[in-house]
Amino acid sequence: MNPETILGSFRTVLGAKLLEDRTIERQVGTINPKPVYDLWVVVDRDTLHDAVAHLCEDFNPHLAVISGDDLGSDLALNYHFTAGWGERYGEVTFTIRTLVPKNDLRIPTITDLLPGAQTSEREKREFFGIEIDGIPDARNLFLPEDMTIHPWRKDLEEETKGSVKRLVKWEERDE
Amino acid sequence: MNNRSINLEIGGGEKACYTVPIGPTHPALKEPIRFTFDLSGEQIVGVDIKPGFAHRGIEYMGMRRNLIQTLYLSERICGICSISHPLAFTQAVENAAGIEVPPRAQYIRTIIGELERIHSHLLWAGVGAHELGFDTLLHLVWNVREKCMDLLEQLTGNRVDYAIPIFGGVRRDIPAEKAPLAYEALDYYKGLLQQMIDAFLHDKSVEMRTRNIGVMTYDQAIELCSVGPTTRASGVKKDVRVDMPYLAYADMDLHAITPEDFGTEPIGDVYDNIIVRLLEVAQSIEIIEFCLENLPEGELSSIPKVPALLAALKKAEGEGIGRHEAPRGEVFHYVRLVEGQDEMAVWKVRAPTYNNLMPWVPKFLGDEVADIPIIAASIDPCMCCMDRVHIVDEAGTESVRVKEELVRLSREKTRRMSR
Repeated sequence: MNPETILGSFRTVLGAKLLEDRTIERQVGTINPKPVYDLWVVVDRDTLHDAVAHLCEDFNPHLAVISGDDLGSDLALNYHFTAGWGERYGEVTFTIRTLVPKNDLRIPTITDLLPGAQTSEREKREFFGIEIDGIPDARNLFLPEDMTIHPWRKDLEEETKGSVKRLVKWEERDE
Repeated sequence: MNNRSINLEIGGGEKACYTVPIGPTHPALKEPIRFTFDLSGEQIVGVDIKPGFAHRGIEYMGMRRNLIQTLYLSERICGICSISHPLAFTQAVENAAGIEVPPRAQYIRTIIGELERIHSHLLWAGVGAHELGFDTLLHLVWNVREKCMDLLEQLTGNRVDYAIPIFGGVRRDIPAEKAPLAYEALDYYKGLLQQMIDAFLHDKSVEMRTRNIGVMTYDQAIELCSVGPTTRASGVKKDVRVDMPYLAYADMDLHAITPEDFGTEPIGDVYDNIIVRLLEVAQSIEIIEFCLENLPEGELSSIPKVPALLAALKKAEGEGIGRHEAPRGEVFHYVRLVEGQDEMAVWKVRAPTYNNLMPWVPKFLGDEVADIPIIAASIDPCMCCMDRVHIVDEAGTESVRVKEELVRLSREKTRRMSR
């Protein structure tokens, strides 16, 4: 897939709501190098669902995973999609980044567009304490069902440390 | 007792629905996960999946160590994919820091990666045979797998955790005198491949137990974002090595293996999963031969000295994505590096089983209790890859040990059908 096709279409559909976009070109292959592309875009929280809807409508995306990044006062979520599979050199990675303020940690679900996103959304919910509006299943997935701390939040580091059970006495030495 | 009260008792004429928890002791593999099945008679009408019993907090640990320490940690995410995670991780860091990898190193990484695919697919085939009750086949396949493990030991020094990739290259060469060993092993597998295909794909009992069992359709595979042989068995031609090539895969002509390569229409059942994995072993042999024949001369690493490498990584700033088509599907790593900091700001690991969790649901629905072990095994699940965290549940979650019972049921079904 040509990176300009996908980015151009996003610029048309989202207009000024597309806050930032960049294309990273890498050369792969040792005999006859060819380019592959990583695309990164930034949208705000209210536009996220529209952006994903547009991607699903026109580009048949695959959601690799959602990653979270604790930036202090904000939590950044990166929705790592890939699009254009099925064709030699046809695929690009397409990451949609959005910022969520810590004092209002919620984001709309995208499971209505791509049901496979549920695993990743549940994981972000339990590890970062972010509410996913409209998620069909909001139980903990990887953490125990009654666990309420959020291990990947850097501001809750002390709570997390307190919850880690030292299995062997000498492990405490590094404290 | 009148008719009405009878109807009430048996739920209005419908069959009663039972809930059967299976696990955390896993029915098919030696790894923990909990399935809660809703059964109507023998038929599965609902399933709830709870992973996380092997969560060790590896990402948490990785964000508190320097990058070279984390590289060794990434190798220990999974014992079978012990090069897949480092391959994806090194690529992510190299993309973030802008480090080049010499051609010879790219080829060596590819060779080890493909050897891993051969032994992993054979391991899976053995497990599959065991779940169906063909223990003779299990012993045959795992015996054959040893040749690959021996070759890996001869090339890298280890049967697992090969410690081959490092940021900017590889840590060990494959010298010319080792090449004959590799060719010998590849010839051995080429001779065996037809036997394997006969034993699995032309066996009446295997076909009866796996055809139209554990089906996931093409559309379900796409909307549930499944990866690897699981998705290719449903006819989705998705393979990172083909779609977005990297390492030596960019230099050769590849295509994604689906059941069409065997001459059948993809159904997405367990049988198609066997087809894809066996044919991928043949593809891996071709890839390794290509790499050995075209192994470029030159450096092994662009920054061979470890202190210099650590200094370069500390200066790096940026984010990167690394992807590798592991035996079970795409491994995806995302890292963000911050200048002046030894450890990563963010490390997200996405193992293939993570995306193949939800496809389990359509695969289970409608099938029988005796099919649970083989359907569970059909995606080639790897809990330690997926869970990666460390909390021991003290609450004593429901743990019903029914593995032996299930395997017995599964074997009885095979015997019944072969009669």
